[in-house]
Amino acid sequence: MQKTILIGGEAGLGTAVTSHFVGKIFTSLGYYVFNYRDYPSLIRGGHNFNILKISDKPVYSHEYKYDFILALDQKTVDIHKKDLKQSGLVFKAKETEPKILANNILIGLLFKYFGVDLNILFAAAEKTFGKNADLVKKSIQEGYQLDSEKEKLKKLKPKCFISGTEAIGIGAIAAGMDIYLAYPMTPASPVLHFLAKRQLENNILVFQPENEIAVINAALGASFAGAKAMVGTSGGGFALMTEGLSLAAMTELPLVIYLGQRPAPATGLATHTGQGDLKFALNAGHGEFLRVVLSPGDAQEAVIRTQEAFYLSNKYRIPVILLSDKHLAESNYTFDEIAKSSLPIDRFIVENPQEDYRPYALTPNGISPRAVPGQGNFVVRANSYEHNEYGYTIEDSAGAVKMQDKRFKKLPYLKKEIDKLNPISVYGKGSNLLISHGSTKGAILDALPQIKNFRFMQISYLKPFPAEKVAKEIKKSMPTGRQAKKVVLVENSVTGSLADVIKEETGITIKNKILKYDGRPFTPDDIINQL
Amino acid sequence: MTPQDFTTKEINTWCPGCPNFGILNSIKEALAELVNEGKISVKDTSLVAGIGCHGKIFDYVNLNGFNGLHGRVLPVCLGIKLGNPDLTVVGFGGDGDTFDEGVSHFVHACRYNADMTMMVHTNQVFALTTGQATALTEKGFVDGSTPLGQGEKPINSLLMALDLGATFVARGYALQGPHLKELMKKAITHKGFAFLDILQPCIVYHKHSVPYLTKNVYKLEETHDAGNFSQALERVREWDYSYEKDTKVPIGVFYQTERATFESQWPQLKQPWHTIDRKTNWDNIIREFK
Repeated sequence: MQKTILIGGEAGLGTAVTSHFVGKIFTSLGYYVFNYRDYPSLIRGGHNFNILKISDKPVYSHEYKYDFILALDQKTVDIHKKDLKQSGLVFKAKETEPKILANNILIGLLFKYFGVDLNILFAAAEKTFGKNADLVKKSIQEGYQLDSEKEKLKKLKPKCFISGTEAIGIGAIAAGMDIYLAYPMTPASPVLHFLAKRQLENNILVFQPENEIAVINAALGASFAGAKAMVGTSGGGFALMTEGLSLAAMTELPLVIYLGQRPAPATGLATHTGQGDLKFALNAGHGEFLRVVLSPGDAQEAVIRTQEAFYLSNKYRIPVILLSDKHLAESNYTFDEIAKSSLPIDRFIVENPQEDYRPYALTPNGISPRAVPGQGNFVVRANSYEHNEYGYTIEDSAGAVKMQDKRFKKLPYLKKEIDKLNPISVYGKGSNLLISHGSTKGAILDALPQIKNFRFMQISYLKPFPAEKVAKEIKKSMPTGRQAKKVVLVENSVTGSLADVIKEETGITIKNKILKYDGRPFTPDDIINQL
Repeated sequence: MTPQDFTTKEINTWCPGCPNFGILNSIKEALAELVNEGKISVKDTSLVAGIGCHGKIFDYVNLNGFNGLHGRVLPVCLGIKLGNPDLTVVGFGGDGDTFDEGVSHFVHACRYNADMTMMVHTNQVFALTTGQATALTEKGFVDGSTPLGQGEKPINSLLMALDLGATFVARGYALQGPHLKELMKKAITHKGFAFLDILQPCIVYHKHSVPYLTKNVYKLEETHDAGNFSQALERVREWDYSYEKDTKVPIGVFYQTERATFESQWPQLKQPWHTIDRKTNWDNIIREFK
């Protein structure tokens, strides 16, 4: 069973809520749903749509061929009817009806088609809409009576339905985060909302300071005081944070930065997707310093990688950038279960530091035991100037070299640790190789069974780069003698910057690139057609 | 405790005779007295400094501290309060640091009213970078970046603080140590955001302010009602940070009031986060996705 449903309407008609509700009903019936969201940067009017791909097998991407169109307005029909399959159906809301009723009448119609019991729909409505469920139920019932059963959906084992945003939120909670600070910017703001709403029940603090510069500096203040802190932003906000990123490195204060990408330069395509900030994330900040850059490929991986981000940041006292994009953040994925990482929640704060505590003590692995103010009768100092072990400002040449070396001493230990955290994943079999990072994973996984002789390497750790593992995998697919093998990079960007990163880290040149930079994510067809 | 307990071994690199020494002496005295009076504890106090001549104070006070970026003293102070509400946080900034690079943070710090103190070393010049004009430099000031003369009138930082809702607004003079020490003690013990402007005439790049201030600075009379907002507005307007003609320059506490602190809006902000032993109830967290 595989069906694709488009739900569309102008902003304010409830396209996103309706789509999520439909997805939730299908996942509760045991089906895999991928929910793609497309919307312009406006509040009322325009045209929003969601595409739900529903299957009895795992599905991680959308397509532009529909079995059903649920139109909340006439514009939806006008725009999308051309992509309706031959046997496809259009359910259109009466625009004269209040929107909550109109949308739910369509839901009633749709699920009657699939022969889903009305009580299941009612239960779902109660779960999703709480006290407002009565009106929703009434209109679902109204729609239910308008159509007849055409197919009978088998009930399977219920699944979990989760977006990248939600995954990052629960990953942070599971990692023991105390404080989340962010200034609004699409597509990172949903994490701010998700965590803010759940702050009391999870005993965390969420606050929106006056700008991104305040966000990162306040987060470092909180980190200095002993809180596990995270900030969130998109490219423009991250640009404002870069001086603070460098400060995090110099002060060796743990900090996790969630970077939800969208197409740039500048304000770019505010509500769309792209991966053009890879090199920016890898190189942002003045000076030379260690960082981790992580790029999860789907919501499940986002949970685990967020936990890893906190673990590594706190253990090594370095900034960690968690790279995402609009497509990962705002799409809903379906999994049988949602797993978390087995890494411990550890603050890596020493319990009883010695009297002569030195916040930047020189140690064999470069990691100085971390204490926080108020812990005991010793002084804790963080300094943005080059400093000695006690945190006092220095200018002497030997001292400067010592501290630069100290901060880089952590690198081999960090690399070794990352090696154990599956920095790359290889899917499928074949002598040719597709390479990508981040949210392109979904479309590639769904394309893979349809393309012959290709496997797929997903790179999740982009810094420190798992160069040996990546090189080994690529070399298996390098053309040898008469055997023509192909290595192809897939990236939502203009230049395919991961190829440059691979070149820099391994010396290997990737010539073939499938690129997309219209602000829209890949579909499996985009990849299949270009191969 | 004595002020000497806050002395560090670091070599002081301020210019000989710099009024910053006065500020350093006063803060060490104020801290020692506050500790002795049981008003603060050393281990639970942290200073924050920006970048510029004032920022060197970070190295000269033996206390927990964060020497951050130019202009970003206030967000770091705010973050420390969010990270551990039990800490007493004292920020030091320069006038360029606070009112040029970091002015947006000052605006919001006055609104937030977090329980912390901001002391601004006002020397009306970027001294460490050899004497450029700041937002508080008087109109007509000639320097390396403004050879034609500074074109704008200076910001009256006290007036701005009052207008934006700061709950403690005071001005001290670096060369009147005992009075400054008292102001510092009042600022640090004030519940809410305390702004203390400290006149710290630069003896190299803004020399003319020394004789001017010596002649014109006077203490607000005992009868000044610090609870009266209109009176406070009137008194902070007496001097507009200009040097065109002799105008009296009042110092003292202009205004003090009470308002709910920033921290009090968070019921969950009760203790230092690092003392919380977190455990994950995974089933609970993922329930909403089932």
